[in-house]
Amino acid sequence: MSDIVKIKGLKSGLQLSFATGASFDDVKANLLDKLQSGNNFFIRGTTVFVQKGYFTEEQNEVLRRMFHRHGMLFSTELKRPNLTSPSSEPAKKEPEPIRKMMTINRTVRGGEEIRTQASILIVGNVNPGARIIADGSIDIRGTCRGYVHAGASGDTSAVVVADRLMPVQIRIADVIARSPDEPETAEFAERASIKDGQIFIEPVKR
Amino acid sequence: MSKIIVITSGKGGVGKTTTTANVGVGLAMRGNRVVLIDTDTGLRNLDLLLGLENRIMYDLIDVTSGRVPYKKALVRHKKYESLFLLPTSQIKDKSAVNPEDLVKLCNEMNSEYDYIIIDCPAGIEQGFKTAIAAAECAIVVTTPEISAVRDADKIIGELARADKNNIKLVVNRIRPQLVEKGDMLDMGDIDEILSINCIGQVPDDEAVVMATNRGEPVITMNGSPAGQAYKNIVGRICGEDIPFLKPPKEGFFAKLKKLFGLL
Ligand SMILES: Nc1ncnc2c1ncn2[C@@H]1O[C@H](COP(=O)(O)OP(=O)(O)OP(=O)(O)O)[C@@H](O)[C@H]1O
Ligand SMILES: [Mg+2]
Repeated sequence: MSDIVKIKGLKSGLQLSFATGASFDDVKANLLDKLQSGNNFFIRGTTVFVQKGYFTEEQNEVLRRMFHRHGMLFSTELKRPNLTSPSSEPAKKEPEPIRKMMTINRTVRGGEEIRTQASILIVGNVNPGARIIADGSIDIRGTCRGYVHAGASGDTSAVVVADRLMPVQIRIADVIARSPDEPETAEFAERASIKDGQIFIEPVKR
Repeated sequence: MSKIIVITSGKGGVGKTTTTANVGVGLAMRGNRVVLIDTDTGLRNLDLLLGLENRIMYDLIDVTSGRVPYKKALVRHKKYESLFLLPTSQIKDKSAVNPEDLVKLCNEMNSEYDYIIIDCPAGIEQGFKTAIAAAECAIVVTTPEISAVRDADKIIGELARADKNNIKLVVNRIRPQLVEKGDMLDMGDIDEILSINCIGQVPDDEAVVMATNRGEPVITMNGSPAGQAYKNIVGRICGEDIPFLKPPKEGFFAKLKKLFGLL
């Protein structure tokens, strides 16, 4: 049964593919199973990709809502990372290694900078003067007062989630938002994402 | 076996040397054999606070360069006879003492003293790396100001990277009226950022300055609030469970709001 859904780690999230012949209901049941069993691939803030056209629009909508309920994003638009080198290297397709989410189980202090090509989970605070830069999404189980940049290599679907989100500056891809000059309290977990080309912050349930 | 403690801070002038002198005297008053090592090269003042300036014959560099054995350079305190000072050099050569030198020196002293306390220069330069090398415990001193707390945060990060994980906090120069009015960070604010174990809350107290001028640390002055706070710190270093006079304040979220504005 575990082979109905295959999970592949990408820089920008997780890509799902499915066993041939598996029905949508099988897939749904299998995914729900994985989500509820606390499968450690499925971490809040991660974007999950399914190939466009594989399921119908309505079916995609069902999946989208299911992942949303578990704090993840769902997308059928998988962006190829821009290759910066213009050289015409023959594209020798190495299977991309599965990138686990990077986890940090401590306070990230001023002066520290953490960069990852994956998404990152921080169980602790991000203090003023600390910098977190991820190509994927950023999830902070604590107070964020530092500088956070998600989707640093251009993924506009990346998100930043924090128990208390009060950074000096948030960047997602190349969109920038700074903290308000007027102090603001953050008493609920919040998620920042790009909507209509701007950074949008909304409360989320943990 | 001595317990080796380094006194550090990110920002300068927050009270490291004052803390070193008071903790040193306090431990000696309890009968411990204590050595204070001043590693703040070029800026000599631990001797001044202890009233020992005129007794210095040799300094740390004389010892680490092998010119004299360390016992010859130690200055015994005139009143607290189990307290010794190893003065820093007045030559402003920050790299003259390296981390290995200090580790070797502390190893040599190890069996003779109960406590070795190292007064560190501010910041994270070479002098910091040297000062922390031998220590098993670090005390980070800060004042309740945003800039000092931020720098303390950086120092704690550096200490953790150097595998010094036994870190304690002393908050110095607290002015209760300002804290009450919300114009100064309170302990809750500071703890929220630094999240390390606090062993001391020392009020701002003019007796500290008077004590400096007399060459006798404030801990020896009965009735002074700062002196009492230092006595409590010494007790906590010795493993006693001494409650804080004022518990950290409530109203955490309201404070966060203010804190964020200041950050
Ligand atoms: N609790 C206090 N109340 C009043 N004054 C204080 C207190 N603590 C320290 N001071 C004063 O603050 C000044 C700086 O203290 P101190 O020299 O101990 O700091 P430091 O951290 O060692 O500085 P540096 O980084 O230059 O080595 C001194 O003039 C001292 O008298
Ligand atoms: Mg000093």
